[in-house]
Amino acid sequence: MAVALKLVESNESELDQVLERNPEFPRLVAVKIDAQRRGVHYTEQVLKIVDDSVQMRSPYLFGSRDGEIKDLPESLLLRDGSTILTDPTPLAQDPYLVDLVDGKPALVDEGQFVEFVDFWPKPLYYDKKTSSGIPMSHIISARPQRLNVFQSSYCYFWAEDKGCKFCDIVTHTRQQKDELGVPSRLKPQDISETIAEALKEPGRFTGICLTSGSVIKGQELFDREVDFYIETLQAIGENFSTKKFPSELIASAFNEKQLARLYEQTGLTSYTSDLEVLGEDKFNWICPGKAKYVGYREWKQRLVRAVDIFGRGNVGTGLVGGVELAKPNGFSSEEDALKSTLEEAESLAENGVTTFYIVWVPRPGSYFKDQQNPSLDYFVRLAQGLHNLRVKYKLPIDYNDYRRCGNHPDGDLSRLL
Amino acid sequence: MAAKLNKEIIALFGSDDSTKVLATVNEHGYPHAAAKPFIRVDDDGNLLYLELVESSRTQKNLVRSIWFDQKVSVSVSGRDGQSWQIKGKPIKTLITGPVFLHHYQDVRERLGDVDLSAVWVIEPEEVINENIQVRHTEEEALHPLFRHLDRLAKIQP
Repeated sequence: MAVALKLVESNESELDQVLERNPEFPRLVAVKIDAQRRGVHYTEQVLKIVDDSVQMRSPYLFGSRDGEIKDLPESLLLRDGSTILTDPTPLAQDPYLVDLVDGKPALVDEGQFVEFVDFWPKPLYYDKKTSSGIPMSHIISARPQRLNVFQSSYCYFWAEDKGCKFCDIVTHTRQQKDELGVPSRLKPQDISETIAEALKEPGRFTGICLTSGSVIKGQELFDREVDFYIETLQAIGENFSTKKFPSELIASAFNEKQLARLYEQTGLTSYTSDLEVLGEDKFNWICPGKAKYVGYREWKQRLVRAVDIFGRGNVGTGLVGGVELAKPNGFSSEEDALKSTLEEAESLAENGVTTFYIVWVPRPGSYFKDQQNPSLDYFVRLAQGLHNLRVKYKLPIDYNDYRRCGNHPDGDLSRLL
Repeated sequence: MAAKLNKEIIALFGSDDSTKVLATVNEHGYPHAAAKPFIRVDDDGNLLYLELVESSRTQKNLVRSIWFDQKVSVSVSGRDGQSWQIKGKPIKTLITGPVFLHHYQDVRERLGDVDLSAVWVIEPEEVINENIQVRHTEEEALHPLFRHLDRLAKIQP
């Protein structure tokens, strides 16, 4: 589908209505949220201007809304330098179009211009291979300023049919392995070589993020997962002149001994362990594996204890924003969901743990595949509410902001902190 | 509507000897003016401001400007009395891509081990000649009464 457009004033859209109700919320952040919420569809016309300088979709931990792996642009940048992490979406689901407007790529909705966008630039290392012959783009994927290391994309909760209900990690891993030959577990040597190559491009990256599925094995719960991260972080660290380097680990809720090992034996600087949804009953329903092996209250306590090791502002928990409204056991009103979520987030903020969210996208490979995510208004108020907590408790989010992550609308607001 | 910068202004921005000041406004309306040596003119006639400090007050004010459509002001002056003010608005910030990477390397070659946070693109909307002789001439033509009488006296004190 291609729509040739000239720049025109937009009529009143849902976006405009939400901004009228929230006049102090930045329009560009709302655009980002809505593009994540609804997804995007690239027109044939805009794809004609995509050249070799554009980063195309590379292996990722989670699948896309269309359930397919296609050779399309990875994602988009807005003119305020913020990242939109969004994925191709079937037209039937009413996504934004990425089309040409005045010869430039732009978000278009209902035939109306919304914003100009840029494609992500492809890093130079994407065209190289490791000494073992694997494309480096299969080892470490890039965001505009971040390197993603997904060293193992299998989650052991799935083996017991206790995977998180919004998640498609294992479904997508199988698809990537079958269609692209992406290894489901990375070797430290390949990771180290790829990091070395990425660092040859001055100014290109500001942080490294590691994550993978939960590994429950080991003498103590998650010991094997911790071992794996230490091995990987040490391989990465070979490339730096300092012991510590800007990095985030998104992992299971480790105990103090495990966290201390990670902090002392590696260059890791920050730690995230995702509760995914706040509130014990919602957590138990949506994250049955996490609930069974750790439990909601203990998960929170482990986050608080991590602050003593990594420091205030360097520990956080991620939410799949909106999943608290999933049917049938979620909140039935957005008002109640917002109130409950922010109250719980405040109990964490009081203890130095920051909370951020990604926009819930019901993916075809997940249990919640047929559900609908909440309104734009809900996501705007959630972002504002989490940001307000960060202001109230003077909690920085440097390690996971618009640049070092780019996937949290509330974190974008922290550019003003 | 974008305003065009003349050759004299472009040369001033290109000179290391000129003084450049970027003025922004914070959330409470307080102005924040700071000398900024790294302001350039790009091929489209926009100003490029290189922000070296991620969490600087100027950077935060610029983010607020691009989010809420607020204006900024840039002054540039030379040694021989040339002085210009450009009012405009930030229309884009680059944190990656070829333009950003070019300036990242350039600024590090000039200053050593420093960082570059962003390249801000500021579109000029109004250009004002602040040269004092030019301003006096304009003032006397538009407001001939705005002068002290002693300047008109037969015998100068």
